[in-house]
Amino acid sequence: MITGSPPATPAAPAFALAVEERIATAHGWLRDRRQAAWDAFSTMPMPSSQRDEDWRRTDIAKLQLSGFQPSDGIDEPLVNAIRQRRDQGAADAALLLDAAPVTRIEQSDELTAAGVVLSSLDEAARLHPELVERALSAVGVAESPFVALWNAMWSGGAFIYVPRSVHAAVPVWVAHSAAGHRGAAFPATVVLLEDNSSLTLVDDYLSAAGLNEMFSDALTIVVAGRDARLDHCVLQQWGEGVWHVALHRTVLAQNARLRMFGATLGSRLQKAYWEVMLDGPGAEANISGVVFGDGAQHLDHQSLQAHRAPQTTSRLKLKVAVRDHARSVYSGLIDVERIAQQTDAYVQNRNLLLSHGATADSVPRLEIRANDVRCGHGATAGHIDDDHRFYLMARGVTAEDADRLIVHGFLDDALADCPHPGVAALIGELLEKELEGNAQAGIAVVDA
Amino acid sequence: MTDHQALAADLVVDGLSVAVDGKEILRGVDLTVPAGEVHALMGPNGSGKSTLAYTLSGHPKYAVTGGTATFGGDDLLALPADARARLGLFLCFQYPTAIPGVTTVNFMRAALRAQGKEMPAREFIRRLNEEMAALRIDESFRARYINDGFSGGEKKRAEILQMAMLRPRLSILDETDSGLDVDALRTVANGVTRLAGPDMSVLVITHYPRILEYLKPDRVHILNQGRVILSGGPELATQIEREGYEPIIGPVAAEAGASRTSLTGVVAEAQA
Repeated sequence: MITGSPPATPAAPAFALAVEERIATAHGWLRDRRQAAWDAFSTMPMPSSQRDEDWRRTDIAKLQLSGFQPSDGIDEPLVNAIRQRRDQGAADAALLLDAAPVTRIEQSDELTAAGVVLSSLDEAARLHPELVERALSAVGVAESPFVALWNAMWSGGAFIYVPRSVHAAVPVWVAHSAAGHRGAAFPATVVLLEDNSSLTLVDDYLSAAGLNEMFSDALTIVVAGRDARLDHCVLQQWGEGVWHVALHRTVLAQNARLRMFGATLGSRLQKAYWEVMLDGPGAEANISGVVFGDGAQHLDHQSLQAHRAPQTTSRLKLKVAVRDHARSVYSGLIDVERIAQQTDAYVQNRNLLLSHGATADSVPRLEIRANDVRCGHGATAGHIDDDHRFYLMARGVTAEDADRLIVHGFLDDALADCPHPGVAALIGELLEKELEGNAQAGIAVVDA
Repeated sequence: MTDHQALAADLVVDGLSVAVDGKEILRGVDLTVPAGEVHALMGPNGSGKSTLAYTLSGHPKYAVTGGTATFGGDDLLALPADARARLGLFLCFQYPTAIPGVTTVNFMRAALRAQGKEMPAREFIRRLNEEMAALRIDESFRARYINDGFSGGEKKRAEILQMAMLRPRLSILDETDSGLDVDALRTVANGVTRLAGPDMSVLVITHYPRILEYLKPDRVHILNQGRVILSGGPELATQIEREGYEPIIGPVAAEAGASRTSLTGVVAEAQA
């Protein structure tokens, strides 16, 4: 641990020492990529709510990166808690534990026997550089300061490769975790699905409950070949002191299909991009999510449904409940290119405000350059309807239970889209605890 | 019924006045429904019938400005809606609210639990299936969201289903007959008569006498301009079917806008 040591020089960007070491130990294309990312990051200003449209409603002026150091891994009790969680959600799943600097892999025999590659991204970059490079090319080195920083800094990480026509028989559970005061994590999930393959993937971001301030800069890249199928669950349950910035991008070739479900419960502030690139004709994406914010949480989701080929279909549904002084920000774009005729796309965001201090912003947008499409969007925000509450109370249910039933019903409607029943049950249980008033930021860790 | 449950109890409404958004709708309603009886409350549009139903059930929008209402001696007006329901009051809504995401099964289990009438899962499902069959409700409704996408008739039958599951001691039917065709009306009315009796009193609010042919009320009350102006036996409903409200409430009042003084005159005449 480097706690207490002063920053390299007052003028040096955050993480300068760590990056220097990462560049020094990398080779070839990866070294070039890290260097280019770092050079870009060093000159890029941090996003500003005054200057940057993406960040207009999410102010990160208080995030001082220079105060953070790379996380130094996690302890055994937290590892055990993560294992238990995997057991609860999908006991048969292979576990990839991305807690830099170490990535652990457990229970992966069945998949590796079928030809699936599961490894740390570090190892994959050494053993399968062409595969890693192919996947990473789906994201520009310096699309944003956070992407640039991630490219310079990631270590450990998770890599999954499913060969042509292989159907991964059990899910892969990728748990991203970190610890330490002012620890910084650069969670990485990189997935390549060859033609006609399939995979169920869980991306789980979590830390121990508590106020510990940390920073998570995450990237998930999935490149799916023709007719490939991906079921993708994203759980975000960082502790309430964590800043979480994430980009989830899935690229779909012809007739590839994505079902994605996200549950956002944790962190003090999140900015997550959920993006799908429908690059091949006939590609299809169904994205749903539930968000529960309380306390002073600020949870920002920005989605992109990029239709770049004809006859592509996308659906996005995000249901948000906010309590106390929590704030939700949703913005989303359906972007239809000129060649993407017969696009069928819809985006909807519904917000339930459970306290007068809670707020939700919603900005769905359409940009359509083709002339034969079916696209739409919908957004609502409101408090629990008095008539709904009265109806349930008129049957004897207390006001508190009536509200719980209503919020539950509101979120269940989206939860029903979760592609994995065990994960859906786990999320349902977490939401139940939220509804009982117990914030689910971070997970309980019992010392063995 | 084999279930052991509390018997019906007297509903006593005395001088009840109610305002909605500052406007007085009920102006001293007197009404008693003795335990186990079926009473009808009739009256023209705007007379305050639904206001009385909502007020007795405890909707917060209805502000009581005077009078009392007791059920089995308990002061209803001091209780929130859920506590009234737990005493055994049931409002069959005129316009049941759709609640997306909440299934009939989950809702009924929550309501039974809240009312201390929880039963084992198997028994619950058996009873639900029986009641649904009696009301000709399709099995798929168990897992459907409450009233979501239901037709008018389906909503009314779903209300009676809830009544049958919860076994209230007093049911207030707020224009349950409106929007029902003849067959649906018979099914719904049978659902009520099966339960009415020593265990359950009924206050049926209606415009039309037809449902009363099935429910056979012990007493009929006429509400006009926020007061019960006339009470009588079941023959009163027949009279209204034949002659309308006008002979009772007068042409001026029937067209609305009558002052209270003229109304008092009419009441005196009608009661004479």
